Amino acid sequence: MSSSPSSTPVASAPGRAPAAILRLPRWLPAPAATCALLLAVPWIEPYLANTIASWLIAGLLGLSLALVWGQMGFLSLGQTALYGLGGYAGSVLAINLAPGLGNPLLLAAPFGALVGALAAAGIGWVVFYGRLGQLQGTILTYTCTLILWTASVSLNAGIGRARVGGDNGMSDIPGFVAGLGLDAPPMTPNQTLACVLVVCALVYLGCRWLMASSFGRVVQGIRHSAEKTELLGYDTRRFQLVLFAVSGAIAGLAGTLYAAWGAYISPSIFSAQEALLVPIYVLAGGIGSLAGAFLGAVLVGALSFWLGGGAAGGQATLILGLCLIALVLFAPRGLAGMAGSIARGLARQRMPSAVNASALQHASVNAEGLARIASAGPPRGRVAFDATALIKRFGGIVPVNAVSRSFAEGRAAALIGPNGAGKSSFLRCCSGQYRLDGGTITIDGRDVTRWPLFRRVQAGAGIKTQAPLVYAELSVHENLWIAAHRVARDARQAAVAADEALAAMGLQAVARLPAGSLPHGGRQWLDIAMVLIQRPRIVFLDEPAAGMSGEERRALARLLATLGSTLAVVVVEHDMEFVKQLGGHVSVLHQGQLFAEGSIDALRADERVLDIYLGRNAHVQAH
Amino acid sequence: MDWNYLLQALVLALTSAAILLIATLGLGVVFGLMGVVNLAHGEFIMFGAYTALTATQHGVPFWLACVLAAAFTGVFGAAVERLLIARLYGRLLDTMLVTWGIGLVMYQCAVLLFGTVTPGIGMPLGSVRIGGGVVSSYLLVLVVIAAGLSVALYLLLTRTGYGVLARAVVQDRTTAAALGIDARRLSCITFAIGSASAGLAGAVLLPVIPAAPNMGFALAIKGFLAVVAAGPAIVSGTVLSVLSLGSGSAMVASYGSRVLGDLLFFGATLLLLCRFPLGVTQGWRLKL
Repeated sequence: MSSSPSSTPVASAPGRAPAAILRLPRWLPAPAATCALLLAVPWIEPYLANTIASWLIAGLLGLSLALVWGQMGFLSLGQTALYGLGGYAGSVLAINLAPGLGNPLLLAAPFGALVGALAAAGIGWVVFYGRLGQLQGTILTYTCTLILWTASVSLNAGIGRARVGGDNGMSDIPGFVAGLGLDAPPMTPNQTLACVLVVCALVYLGCRWLMASSFGRVVQGIRHSAEKTELLGYDTRRFQLVLFAVSGAIAGLAGTLYAAWGAYISPSIFSAQEALLVPIYVLAGGIGSLAGAFLGAVLVGALSFWLGGGAAGGQATLILGLCLIALVLFAPRGLAGMAGSIARGLARQRMPSAVNASALQHASVNAEGLARIASAGPPRGRVAFDATALIKRFGGIVPVNAVSRSFAEGRAAALIGPNGAGKSSFLRCCSGQYRLDGGTITIDGRDVTRWPLFRRVQAGAGIKTQAPLVYAELSVHENLWIAAHRVARDARQAAVAADEALAAMGLQAVARLPAGSLPHGGRQWLDIAMVLIQRPRIVFLDEPAAGMSGEERRALARLLATLGSTLAVVVVEHDMEFVKQLGGHVSVLHQGQLFAEGSIDALRADERVLDIYLGRNAHVQAH
Repeated sequence: MDWNYLLQALVLALTSAAILLIATLGLGVVFGLMGVVNLAHGEFIMFGAYTALTATQHGVPFWLACVLAAAFTGVFGAAVERLLIARLYGRLLDTMLVTWGIGLVMYQCAVLLFGTVTPGIGMPLGSVRIGGGVVSSYLLVLVVIAAGLSVALYLLLTRTGYGVLARAVVQDRTTAAALGIDARRLSCITFAIGSASAGLAGAVLLPVIPAAPNMGFALAIKGFLAVVAAGPAIVSGTVLSVLSLGSGSAMVASYGSRVLGDLLFFGATLLLLCRFPLGVTQGWRLKL
């Protein structure tokens, strides 16, 4: 969730500061609101109670979308498909169990959730493992809804005692029952409302807990940058699939509750109009807020109820359409977002917007400290990285043309060459950011050529991209925490590792600021620290010194030279002075091929190398 | 095998694909050149249909009414673009939601103005016998119109200054702006062209699909899936996917049932998206 750094001081980090304990716990409002509403339930008119229960069920459906859209950035238009599937499946089970069991809903609801989760996992597998584009993923979920709509209209079948009646829908679905016996009386509307309210609160708290967990924090990372999260060695597809399955379970549960609430379910549940209503709930309440889904659903429900009751001439559709346009244009963060900014304005919290310049004097970067972090833990033995005859083509251009090179610990390796020589492309081929058109790559003798990026990172590769890639909206500490958690696999240890890295970089003062507020050099250091905190065995750095001051460059060169003795370090760099300070083995690339190798001093004296840098032809053609 | 029935089914498949193509081309242009998925496209078709209907009821000849419908809907589209869509560039999902809102408002306005049932107009021209069955000549005219519209759009995008500039903007908005191209004006024109072709579709389809507030909905859903499955090649991709998906599902519909035909349409789209995650024509070198 995108809360301001000041309102979540240490709250999400397990190493909680004592001051935070004095504040109200952030989970408190939901149970408090639930209790207050439960106390109010007996005084609500039964007809209204019945209606409110249906809004809450719609809110549960909205919550299922808020989870994947607001938290992970995937807009699914298939939530009603999962809702309907869960509803049909749960109801079929409930109808069949009804003669022998007093309260079939107790079994039907989990079954509906299970069906929803399985269906979502199936769709998610195609979308996420197939790496569909954003729009295509959304359309695919919409297509699933349309298929179910078309199919369910003509599906006339009996399953046990249940009769799936096609267009006529399925009726006589057992409802909410107060008790377990066969003679237990059906719940009154007010009891049903209380029951639905408790279920919603529990599911909501479960979602809150999930998003505050380590899993949830990585999901936040995926929303901000799936690319970076994969570069940190996370299998983003699995996280996305799991979260979508959870969302499917919630939708399926909501579907079963809906069918039980109305004792009836029909194909209209799959209609395109219904499918598009769910994003409105989320938008109205506020994308990014889980509670907002309930707020939005109740709001839309109440509005339709009031309008449908004759107000404004029954023009519910017209008003809803206008509201949707106004929301997207004027309140893209919804009611929860508006309430949040008003609350912040009232509290007059100081927003630490500008980075204190003195806090970012990187003269304080402790190269030895960062080197210790990178080489912490058990010794990792020798590393052998072999690239053989790598080829990469872009149309007619061949930036990497049959380059072979091995890297090992000992001395840092630098790749230099004039613009367009293929340095960065070769580095990206090695790291796995580019899919090869030829050649093989092995790490410690294992062929990793076909491995996806995250598996190579898990095997020990650390990748620092050319432009510093950080989660701009997450705090500096959270950035480091996500990186550290992949290797630590423990929230507390990851927080400790992040603190150590902050101390080594001298960035403690800005730990809670969004990483995007750092200047370019600061983001470079943060990115480098995120790579090193994972204790890689081979690091690929693409122009790491760009945007740094002279003092910082010297510190970085010292750091990489130190690291070079224990792990394989590969650096692409333009700055010859930096390469000289690095003091490692240098390879010159030219026109996609290895051109010369040696120490920087020898290469600087080499006429042929000077020729290609100066664009002279004399020796190059002879080569 | 009944050859006569097969021939009729083929003609029907071709005409229903042509109907879908007429309804979809505008959507394809707007999606391909602006990256905007216009969920109100069906309602734009409906707008054109009611415009033409009202015009013919006032004694305007049918073909002139079609031109009027295209012009009115185009102007309306330009206004919608300026007022709403221009504020949301680069926010794909937000534009989808806003256009859906526009669609809802237009639908409800149509219900208020015209009611849910309106008289259709008779089928102009006569009919011809094909393979023992009778096919209205107007359906065959629609095939010609579909082909003509495709060719016209193709020429518009490749042979006119507007077309080249609009394609430049969609490839790289920043570079185009650096070259002094007014991307805002071009987007407005593009949306107007897309809307005008929706309006024309509503008008020329009037004899086949009577005007009703929800008439565009089914057409737009299928068109929308076909466009996304087609990917970035605007005209050829849309023609290809609409013809194959549309005629395929129509064939299944005439041998099986309409539901089966729809299922085939949606299922095939699903498979295409699985196989080509960024659209069928993503890998094509010439994206037109």
